[in-house]
Amino acid sequence: MPKCTINGKSIEVKPGTTIIQAFKEAGEEIAHYCWHPALSVAGVCRLCMVQIEGQPKLQIACNTVVADNMVITNKSEPVKDAVRWGMDFHLINHPLDCPICDQAGECGLQEQYMRYGQYDPEMAEPKQKKHKVIDLGPTVVLDSERCILCSRCVRFTEEVTKTNELGIFNRGDRSEIGTFHNKPLNNNYSYNTIDICPVGALTSKDFRFRQRVWYLKEARSICTGCSTGCNVNVYFNEEGTWRVKPVQNDKVNGYWMCDKGRDVYKFTNLPVRLTSGKTGSKDNWNLLEAGALAKDVGATIRAAARSGADKIALVITGQYSNEDYDALFQFFSVGLGVQNIYHWINNPEDMNGFDGLLFRGDRNPNTKGLVARLEKYGVKTKWLDLEDKIKAHDLTHIVIAGPENHSVFPDLETKLRLFDQVPNVVWLSAGKSVAVDGLTAVTTQIPMKTFIEKDGTYTNYAGLEQKVKRGTTIVAGALTLEEAVHLMSGEELDMNMRPLPPKYLKTNFLVHKGGPL
Amino acid sequence: MEVKLLTEHYDKPEFKALVGYKKLGGYDTLKKAFGMKPKEIIEIVKASGLRGRGGAGFPTGMKWSFLPENNEPRYLLCNADEGEPGTFKDRMMMERAPHQLIEGMVISAYAVQSKKSYIYIRGEYTESYRTVEKAIREAYDGGFLGKNILGSGFDHDMDVYSGAGAYICGEETGMISSLEGLKGQPKLKPPFPAVKGYLRKPTIVNNVETLAAVKYIIRDGAQAYRKNGTEKSAGTKLFSVSGNVVRPGNYEIPLGYPLKDLIFNLCGGLKHGRKLKAVIPGGSSAPVLTADEAMRATMDYECLAQMGSMLGSGAVIVIDDSNCMVDLMKVILHFYHHESCGQCTPCREGTGWLDKIVTSIVTGHGRLQDVQLLEKVAKNMMGRTICALSDAAAMPAISFVTKFRDEFEFFVREGRSKVKKEGYNYAQMHH
Amino acid sequence: MSYVVKRPSASSQWYLPAIFSGMGLTFKKMLRNLFVGDKMQTLNYPEEKYEYGPRFKGNHVLTVKKDGSVRCTACMLCATNCPAQCIKITAAEHNDPSVEKYPISYEIDILRCVFCGFCEEACPVDAIRMGPEWQSPALNGGTFNYDIQHLAYRGNLKGGIQSRVDDQERHKAGI
Repeated sequence: MPKCTINGKSIEVKPGTTIIQAFKEAGEEIAHYCWHPALSVAGVCRLCMVQIEGQPKLQIACNTVVADNMVITNKSEPVKDAVRWGMDFHLINHPLDCPICDQAGECGLQEQYMRYGQYDPEMAEPKQKKHKVIDLGPTVVLDSERCILCSRCVRFTEEVTKTNELGIFNRGDRSEIGTFHNKPLNNNYSYNTIDICPVGALTSKDFRFRQRVWYLKEARSICTGCSTGCNVNVYFNEEGTWRVKPVQNDKVNGYWMCDKGRDVYKFTNLPVRLTSGKTGSKDNWNLLEAGALAKDVGATIRAAARSGADKIALVITGQYSNEDYDALFQFFSVGLGVQNIYHWINNPEDMNGFDGLLFRGDRNPNTKGLVARLEKYGVKTKWLDLEDKIKAHDLTHIVIAGPENHSVFPDLETKLRLFDQVPNVVWLSAGKSVAVDGLTAVTTQIPMKTFIEKDGTYTNYAGLEQKVKRGTTIVAGALTLEEAVHLMSGEELDMNMRPLPPKYLKTNFLVHKGGPL
Repeated sequence: MEVKLLTEHYDKPEFKALVGYKKLGGYDTLKKAFGMKPKEIIEIVKASGLRGRGGAGFPTGMKWSFLPENNEPRYLLCNADEGEPGTFKDRMMMERAPHQLIEGMVISAYAVQSKKSYIYIRGEYTESYRTVEKAIREAYDGGFLGKNILGSGFDHDMDVYSGAGAYICGEETGMISSLEGLKGQPKLKPPFPAVKGYLRKPTIVNNVETLAAVKYIIRDGAQAYRKNGTEKSAGTKLFSVSGNVVRPGNYEIPLGYPLKDLIFNLCGGLKHGRKLKAVIPGGSSAPVLTADEAMRATMDYECLAQMGSMLGSGAVIVIDDSNCMVDLMKVILHFYHHESCGQCTPCREGTGWLDKIVTSIVTGHGRLQDVQLLEKVAKNMMGRTICALSDAAAMPAISFVTKFRDEFEFFVREGRSKVKKEGYNYAQMHH
Repeated sequence: MSYVVKRPSASSQWYLPAIFSGMGLTFKKMLRNLFVGDKMQTLNYPEEKYEYGPRFKGNHVLTVKKDGSVRCTACMLCATNCPAQCIKITAAEHNDPSVEKYPISYEIDILRCVFCGFCEEACPVDAIRMGPEWQSPALNGGTFNYDIQHLAYRGNLKGGIQSRVDDQERHKAGI
């Protein structure tokens, strides 16, 4: 175990640790662009300069391995000067696009200029002209002038996705990132190139120009797009959620997440949400407050259960948290004695699919949690039983804990046609749906909250339980499944404890804290 | 005095072909080498004090002994990407004595136990490429390459590879990248090529002249080779003299030879009886020497290093007093701007910046602080990059500005050259 | 330091002389307004409006480029800087890559505006200015949300002429 001294702190590191990793371990700041912990070392930005005692030349921290008794500093004058000039070299041809650049506010150049630069520019000559607004593929737009050629994106496609779409073309200060002819950047991980881009050279087509980042607040959550459960930050403001970015978690997703997962914010926003309770049937809906509706429908179900619990069926999707499931089973299985509990599997054929990196075929965040609870409560039903029972008109009530994310349920309409044959349908879901509004049975629709609006635990494919905290509230009138079940069982809810929609005005959230690089 | 060791038979056209080469004692040394152990050869080369002739001047024997002791395949690469402006010695060696290079390479390959070698020839050298290719075919036919060479049991294959004409591919790791089929960009060191080079296998990269010299070291012995040159800079070296001299060309002289004699005796002095103004002693990346310094300089690694310059590839560019140093600076910096591979930021942006500054000076738009800025930018490019191209651009820039500051300042103040009557025709130079 | 307050004299405590001189002035002006119309001292607001100097910082004007499109790049710095939070911008991608970003809607809620001029100062491209117009009466609330049409292309827009400066001209003028 080599011991070294970093800016006066002495630490012990594993053999083979590079200086920059040792800096991170010691919690010391070091300027860098091209180095990324999950990618190979390129050593091209030349910003992570450090001074090693006994060596005349400054060394780059990313490619120098810590040797025993090394005394390393990056606080000395030569290093500061080198970093300042490194910044200057990066900036001389970088356009002053910040006002229209999406990265402004979370930009590595801006941050490090404020930390290590802050000089008067001496460049009087015109800047290098390159191509702007280059369409790299279905997700990414490139601005070559802003690019600092750190090659992170190129290395990402080389080493992580192994698709090799990107390359650096030309040489010298005419170098530009680009794709090969007829080979656009089109893989399921392309958005990660935007995350690792330290400047605004790569911007997301999905997020481009929709919000300035300083209007956004972030909430740590997990991606509910599939059963991997990648750790993410959801960015939101009072207008809704805007984007999802991965957060490092070596146990689950490393540094990345897939492009499909980036869409999870889309089903949380108002236009696609069920905003209030509805009761009635096709073309004849009464809007009611969700809580009141849940109470009413709860009373009906309890009454029906007294006359025969086998006339009630419960259908569950793998989209809810463990707490939700617990409440649901506690009420239906234990409280009412309902035996007809069915697991709605949305895509049985590729349930075990896996792309080798992160994305899994099971597009529910908590199938594992649901299956565990089905076992715990001794439910051993098959989907076909339900179909038989419905066809035989054995059921009077069906309660469906429907999907949050309708887009991953291709069988939504077929299943609804099946449920429609039951006289009374209780539909619990976050999203609004034309298909549900077209049901002819007596239907009660209760709006649910999405993953970003509630606390909960999700069990991913590997059985890892991940706790998620509430980030924001988008539909204040919606209930969590747990709340809905409590109301159905006749309990009261303390409405004062429930979160309100955000009331703050647009605020610059980045004023007091620097964004991540 | 010229000492013709490597260039002894260069005047004879038959030296180029295998028959003539053999008649003049060719491939005898190879037989001798096969009689020794590989370790012995390395020791002899070490003892000879041979230093790399490509530019850096690293002791060759030492480089060879860096190879790790393992069973991985090893590669020997011959760097014939002679890109340094002003240098043309390797070209002559390949065109006039390709077998001399091949023999030197097989001996070296035997010493480092490499079964495969490549000669990486600069893209512009089409004639050299053809000559060397033909010579390799002859050598295969003559049994000097291939399986079981001369019955020694040593197998060796040789290939020739043409670059696409990038200066940066003359840098050893840049050359390795290019040879691997990648973009010709230098690789991060460590690991060094001797540990992980071509195809991530141990690799030795040597200059044409170095490899050719190995043959003469083995033929005559280390002590005989050491007779020429100085204690630390042993042997002879080819110098490519160009510029305003009466007889420009390649001269093989012992190291430590006075630069004054090279210019005024061997090359016949300056053209039209003009005065000497400056000398670039080691290719365009070497810092310039003023006339005074040039008169004192001897052509060896130590003396030039002491004067703040370097021997480099041995390209002596003689500049007389009719030349404007600002113009020359512009030419040199334009070259490095054009040739920077664009990997490391200080070099990519710095070479462009230097070029832009000096361009604005020569087009009459310079500011007085630009002269100082030129120096500042260059200083901050030094030693901050993966390879030495950044230094190669910065060193001449610093030396030009510090040694000829008055010319730069005059150009900025007056908007015209101090030396030349007519203004600098920027447009004409570029198109 | 002591401070002596001078009590008004007894005679001046009778305000009548001052009242009469004041009323006299009023009546004099009234008579002049009635009989010598062209030297009138007051304006027939709202038919007539007072002209302030060109540097008066009143209602906002969005400046336009030579081709007639708004100069605004939708960077939202004005909206960020606005202490009254009265500016609302929706950005979109422009077809021309050299423009890249432009506002598809730019609304100023003039009732919230406090006329501080911070938007003008924050603007990096001189796209928004405080113009010489000042009054904003209207008949219903909706008309107080000024959109691009109102801020840049209104027929009787004042202060619009100074905005029609090209980039090169601005560069030459050192702006």
